[in-house]
Amino acid sequence: MSHCKVPALIEAQVEMGSVNELEHKSLFRREEDDPTHTKAASLMEQGSLSPSFHEHATKSPKNSVIKSIKIVILSNKLNLLLPFGPLAILVHYMVDSKGWVFLLSLIGITPLAERLGYATEQLAFYTGPTVGGLLNATFGNVTELIISIFALKNGMIRVVQQTLLGSILSNMLLVLGCAFFCGGLVFHQKDQVFDKGIAVVNSGLLLMAVMGILFPAVLYYTHSEVHTGSSELALSRFSSCIMLIAYAAYLFFQLKSQSSSYSRLEEEANQNEEASGEDEDPEISKWEAIIWLSILTAWVSLLSGYLVDAIEGASVSWNIPIAFISVILLPIVGNAAEHAGAIMFAMKDKLDLSLGVAIGSSIQISMFVVPFCVVIGWMMGEQMDLNFQLFETAMLFITVIVVAFFLQEGTSNYFKGLMLILCYLIVAASFFVHEDPHQDGI
Amino acid sequence: MSHCKVPALIQAQVEMGSVNDLEHKSLFRKEEDATQTKAASLMEKGSLSPSFHAHTTKSPKNSVLRSIRIVILSNKLNLLLPFGPLAILVHYMIDSKGWVFLLSLIGITPLAERLGYATEQLAFYTGPTVGGLLNATFGNVTELIISIFALKSGMIRVVQLTLLGSILSNMLLVLGCAFFCGGLVFYQKDQVFDKGIAVVNSGLLLMAVMGILFPAVLHYTHSEVHAGSSEMALSRFSSCIMLIAYAAYLFFQLKSQSNSYSPLEEETNQNEETCGEDEDPEISKWEAIIWLSILTAWVSLLSGYLVDAIEGASVSWNIPIAFISVILLPIVGNAAEHAGAIMFAMKDKLDLSLGVAIGSSIQISMFVVPFCVVIGWMMGEQMDLNFQLFETAMLFITVIVVAFFLQEGTSNYFKGLMLILCYLIVAASFFVHEDPHEDAI
Repeated sequence: MSHCKVPALIEAQVEMGSVNELEHKSLFRREEDDPTHTKAASLMEQGSLSPSFHEHATKSPKNSVIKSIKIVILSNKLNLLLPFGPLAILVHYMVDSKGWVFLLSLIGITPLAERLGYATEQLAFYTGPTVGGLLNATFGNVTELIISIFALKNGMIRVVQQTLLGSILSNMLLVLGCAFFCGGLVFHQKDQVFDKGIAVVNSGLLLMAVMGILFPAVLYYTHSEVHTGSSELALSRFSSCIMLIAYAAYLFFQLKSQSSSYSRLEEEANQNEEASGEDEDPEISKWEAIIWLSILTAWVSLLSGYLVDAIEGASVSWNIPIAFISVILLPIVGNAAEHAGAIMFAMKDKLDLSLGVAIGSSIQISMFVVPFCVVIGWMMGEQMDLNFQLFETAMLFITVIVVAFFLQEGTSNYFKGLMLILCYLIVAASFFVHEDPHQDGI
Repeated sequence: MSHCKVPALIQAQVEMGSVNDLEHKSLFRKEEDATQTKAASLMEKGSLSPSFHAHTTKSPKNSVLRSIRIVILSNKLNLLLPFGPLAILVHYMIDSKGWVFLLSLIGITPLAERLGYATEQLAFYTGPTVGGLLNATFGNVTELIISIFALKSGMIRVVQLTLLGSILSNMLLVLGCAFFCGGLVFYQKDQVFDKGIAVVNSGLLLMAVMGILFPAVLHYTHSEVHAGSSEMALSRFSSCIMLIAYAAYLFFQLKSQSNSYSPLEEETNQNEETCGEDEDPEISKWEAIIWLSILTAWVSLLSGYLVDAIEGASVSWNIPIAFISVILLPIVGNAAEHAGAIMFAMKDKLDLSLGVAIGSSIQISMFVVPFCVVIGWMMGEQMDLNFQLFETAMLFITVIVVAFFLQEGTSNYFKGLMLILCYLIVAASFFVHEDPHEDAI
């Protein structure tokens, strides 16, 4: 049960993987005993449609590649959307319709993002809980990271800021709200409970992130910089380094306290023994996981390039503000897999995992991806800063306070979920009618 | 055990004094017999020889010497005392404002600490109620004196910025260091503190922020009935309300403290050793009052030179005045409280740490700030509660963040680290912040 040591976010990823595959259990039935046979068994025809996979003790490399492809690509219904990726590239070169390119690449990225999460979790089996936790904490939102870096390279700083902001908002309001709502509907007689202590610490971290984002904006808007223009950028860069240090300390602290609360998780794991037992054995080998990780990252990068390139054109042809596309549309699609996972956990009364997915993802983006983008921009020579402009910053601030209050009590029900979803609708409506005066030209 | 009735802030002051003196216990060993307390204290307590019962009569000169020994020589921090007179010398001899500022700053630090000591000593004689009031008023007398001097010079922004910086440094830096050091010492578990008191204190801080926020909002939405004067009137009215609130807070604290005497009794039985040490004051009542006056006079004198040198120091060091007022002054001014809070946390007495840190923030925001507005009103200065947009926003966010951190009633080194990092962000913001409303002198 080594994986039960990893922080909630990882546990969530692990469980998500197991839930996806529960539907295909028949394809992956293997014996529950002797862990020493695990690696060998997994190398054998696990993905084979016939149950007699013990017979093929040796296999050609070609077979293992095919099997690997079967496991990773064919095991998930979401992967039906995979062809949209190449289709988007085709459309980009054949038809001059940015709107279609945008839409198709968006749909094409969704399954890739989900498979990336799967590959990361598989790799986590081999690296042990600590490095596994770090892997998940870094790669958890690698899709957003890649899209942001591409946008940065094109100098589309506002798009970067808005996409990340939208991801934070969508995780905090939409994903969490849906999870609370669906969980509350399933368990409508009682209030579901979650660990209040962790929720409060996470709220505090989100507030600290908001503080880091708020101060450069306030400095800029009170026209009180010592060296107008450059002071605010310097402050942003300094704050980003502080926030990255804080995030590192957060990971350190989480992993430390996780290992001390191992015994508590052991009991939990015993209750979830069936699901845990399924996750115990990784499904693909370590090198397969690394290779798939690289392949998927490359694919996501490729599609992201076309996606970012098509944003402006899509905005013009659909007559929607770029702000709305960046803040609302992109994150909803980008977070689709996490969204589904959080809802599923809530419906199984495992609210801590839902919170881990939703709020953990928000923290990862606000305390890691945002400062990291500022630092990357610093190295690229781009003027990426933490000044998200007044409207967006105010939105973020109010939202974090509202969510922190909702999490205070440690319980949830469908009403709280509904409130959060409605809040998100208000936020989305606000961005629909918001024209960004600082929009980058391309 | 009468002093154990006093609010946490006083208890903290008492313990701080006792901790400082524990190092010099050999000099001050006295008998536990309470009836002989006053007589024994008049005798050669500070004498280096243990045979202090022998000298039943002594000359006034000896008692003055002994008093000086107790008050001045008993604390390592007092090594910094000569910097005070040195600052005055430098002021008249060399035309370097930077040096005058630095030296007077260092010179004030031990004086501030000794002021706290004298106040706590006096509190023994006045009973817990008046003692509590004394501490609540004199706890931040250093900031009060510096502010009044700045007010007299018309440096209203400096007053606002110094007080703001003191609030921020107490809430973030002092508290963060206390949580962090305590958490490192007790890293296996989370330290706990009284959640109820922390929440009430957070509410008070929020109320203070509300009082400071509304005049600023009124001003910046350009929606005053009589532009310029309405906001001043609002500030003065709000200040009176806040002073009333502070008085009610003191009353409530002292009342509920005497009600909860029994739970404290058990605590004090555990801490009997330190309580027993604090039971007997070390200097007589009149000595305490005299020292209080002398130290206050000294602090006033040095503050005059300090305030006078701020602008020059800012020019010669090339640092914004805002940064000096908000970050540098309070860090030095709060040095003694800072050390005390950290020591309490490392002894797992987090309630006392909170009492020092948050109690001091409340004292400044709900007492010193409104009091300065009222003093300014009487002086005819335009001191108001409009701390300008940047500073007010800073204060608001910080109070909310701290209130959230305190919600849970537990602490660990991570929370402490977060608070310290927040303070670094605040300090960095002020480093690049040029105040558009800086006073000219």
